[in-house]
Amino acid sequence: MSDGEYDYLIKFLALGDSGVGKTSFLYQYTDGKFNSKFITTVGIDFREKRVIYKSTGPDGSSGKGQKIHMQLWDTAGQERFRSLTTAFFRDAMGFLLLFDLTNEQSFLNVRNWMSQLQIHAYCENPDIVLCGNKCDLSDQRAVSEEEARELADKYGIPYFETSAANGQHVSQAVDVLLDLIMKRMERCVDKSWIPDGTVRANGPTNTDLSEGSERSKCAC
Amino acid sequence: MVDQPLWEQIGSSFVQHYYQLFDSDRTQLGSIYTDTSCLTWEGQQFQGKNDIVEKLTSLPFSKIAHSITAQDHQPTPDCCILSMVVGQLKADNDPIMGFHQSFILKNVNDSWVCTNDMFRLAIHNFG
Repeated sequence: MSDGEYDYLIKFLALGDSGVGKTSFLYQYTDGKFNSKFITTVGIDFREKRVIYKSTGPDGSSGKGQKIHMQLWDTAGQERFRSLTTAFFRDAMGFLLLFDLTNEQSFLNVRNWMSQLQIHAYCENPDIVLCGNKCDLSDQRAVSEEEARELADKYGIPYFETSAANGQHVSQAVDVLLDLIMKRMERCVDKSWIPDGTVRANGPTNTDLSEGSERSKCAC
Repeated sequence: MVDQPLWEQIGSSFVQHYYQLFDSDRTQLGSIYTDTSCLTWEGQQFQGKNDIVEKLTSLPFSKIAHSITAQDHQPTPDCCILSMVVGQLKADNDPIMGFHQSFILKNVNDSWVCTNDMFRLAIHNFG
């Protein structure tokens, strides 16, 4: 998969309480399947996916596609044994913050995860998408869409109701996160703050001069 | 089995006892430590049975199961036993994770206590 033919390598981290469905969510996104059994292979800590990102100009026109190599990292449950510190967060460019719509405590803990992120991520306001997962289990719902949206609005982050079981809004949530990150990079003139190794140009793969110079600034 | 060296017998029965307590009732683990025992848990240091047991009981899972893959034991020059364990564990419904744990056991007043305990998960996604 890592054949080197990409414009950007972007690392995402899925966070949230144990049991909210992080692994299933990532599995649904990368493989389009729901795996109700736990993946018991130790050592597979992240999943990868290639996408083409087309930036949309202010006039709605879409620019040239950029090849994005996404790494989606999972915590595998080690947060129960050690606190996830700077080392774990520092290289991630964007965060998928999940809670379980059928588990109120996991929703209440979103605040803790947000403060952890503000402390440990590469900057105080990293790009985050909040996902209320397991929306297919509507008869067990313990958190209303309204209160979840309210919290997301408070933090100024997008909110999606997702289902790793049937795939609802899973890829939309990741797409929005990718879009936020790509927009942040476009906005940012001095890209030196981007965490090392998180986003990197992978050599001049095309001869478009304006894009070439843009990329070279990101090469950490 | 009769020919097993003494340190092997003591080490392996300690290991069996330790994980049996850990998986059934972590609050009972105080019985194997002393007030000067050291625990290093994922790089965090704890000393004395009270602090150690407090740490172990505060780990945020309600169910845990350890499965021992391999264990090795050696006598040390000062008549202690050094034990190393490689295994897998499952906390609540999380994915199974590998771990390593090492112990030093010492004979104090005719019973064996754990003076040193080091624990690490065997996962490599945080560097």
